[in-house]
Amino acid sequence: MNVFATIKDTLNYEVAGIKIIEMIEFAVILFIAVIIARIARTITRRRLKEKVSPTTLSSIEKIVYYGIIIIGFFIALPKGVSLSGLLVAGGVAGIVIGFASQTVVSNLISGLFLMVERPVEIGDSIAVGDISGVVKDIRVLSTTIRTWDGIYVRIPNEKVFNSSIYNYVAHGARRFEYRIGISYSDDANKAIELIKGILAQHPLVLKYPEPDVFVEELGESSVNIVVKIWAPSSHWYSVKTEMLWKIKVLLEENGIKIPFPQRVIWMAGGEKKEGRGKGK
Amino acid sequence: MFGKYDLSMNVKTEEFEIEVTGRGKRRIYRRKTKEEEVEKIIYADDGNIVVCPVEPVNMPKIGVAEHLMVELKKPVIFEPDMKNTFYVKFPLEVGIFTVDRKDVERIDIFTTVKGKYALYGPPESGIICRWWRSDVYPEEPEVNPLKEGILRVDVENKYYEWVEIQKVVFRAFDMKLFYNQHAYMHGVITLLNKTTGETSFNTRKPKNMHGSIDIYAAKGIKKFDKKYYMEWGFK
Repeated sequence: MNVFATIKDTLNYEVAGIKIIEMIEFAVILFIAVIIARIARTITRRRLKEKVSPTTLSSIEKIVYYGIIIIGFFIALPKGVSLSGLLVAGGVAGIVIGFASQTVVSNLISGLFLMVERPVEIGDSIAVGDISGVVKDIRVLSTTIRTWDGIYVRIPNEKVFNSSIYNYVAHGARRFEYRIGISYSDDANKAIELIKGILAQHPLVLKYPEPDVFVEELGESSVNIVVKIWAPSSHWYSVKTEMLWKIKVLLEENGIKIPFPQRVIWMAGGEKKEGRGKGK
Repeated sequence: MFGKYDLSMNVKTEEFEIEVTGRGKRRIYRRKTKEEEVEKIIYADDGNIVVCPVEPVNMPKIGVAEHLMVELKKPVIFEPDMKNTFYVKFPLEVGIFTVDRKDVERIDIFTTVKGKYALYGPPESGIICRWWRSDVYPEEPEVNPLKEGILRVDVENKYYEWVEIQKVVFRAFDMKLFYNQHAYMHGVITLLNKTTGETSFNTRKPKNMHGSIDIYAAKGIKKFDKKYYMEWGFK
């Protein structure tokens, strides 16, 4: 009997005006709220994964998760605790913490601006400073990127916000180009027609805007043809890596040579010598 | 060619062959075209295979485009307040689905026509479309049902000036395909002025035709706005 009385007394013991039993209730309810929030986040992710973009999904997940925890927090709040007092205390604490951790606040504000302005979205291929890769998550304090060689990089949002951001897939299509030198003795018009023909065959080389193929300059060793190709931003790299070799093979199959750098040397005595390379 | 089949089936045409073989729960799905061969294993007790035309934006690479651009070989000019109909062809894409009472699952999509993409609009805000060029026909044209479908286009010019169109863009979300011997869609274009218009689809099932399985509806993707706004012109 004494044991129960002792436990009861302990639970009813007040610390800073709040009973210990209320503190335990608070912790339990908050714990349950976190579990419910995690389950709700998982269900949200599974239900919406194929229906909304990754960025929107990430935002919805965060709203669901933190929304449930905040609701749980207010439900769990002991009766003796004054909400206005808590807010004042939180405000004061916020100012103190803010001064103490200006970098964190700066990252937080930058993160909020990034979420509103949305220069990048989850899944985009981007470059920030000297880091480039695919955006995996945009959090309140940092943005995480998986680099092209698979390395996890966490960039503070302040750095992202203050840097030049190159988003390679923000637009539907992007252009890339090749410079191909052919021999002076070959027919440039024929080469251009051949290149246009092979580009027309490739589904991911866009019909519109049309590819641009023309003689750009008469170089030291070759007639230089420039090939400008538009492709869907999501697939431009595969097209770029595929087409150059195909063009080279096609030109050679049709007897058009891609010459080595060469220079004709006229000797003082009138004798002509031809050699390779840019040396003497 | 199109239709509902049992779990043991075979469809052979000049352009492709589809078959599901095997007994019991384990079946083998095979599809051959001149360019590729696909084989998948299906575990099923019962159910059916449906072969039908699907929205012609999935090939040659799934996920690149969600719109179909039909470029007209000859431009068409409409006088103010004119309502008229013409027909074009569209590239056929065939979808193969497993269906039972509870669910529909896409197992394959293929086409026998060469694909090409085009950008509609400026690079910074335009959209990638599956590109196709077609003649314009006053009546339903003859088509090769293994390669093409018929798209009826009802046009209404609501502008007070003449409007010329050389291309039309349709959104896959809005498409509703039907089939009998060939694939069929019924598009509607409202010309709002010289450079903008709205495209949508008449979803009413024509007589003697069957409704296809809509991939976008099967994926659970729905759009509240049932029209696509062509804001970057018709040329």
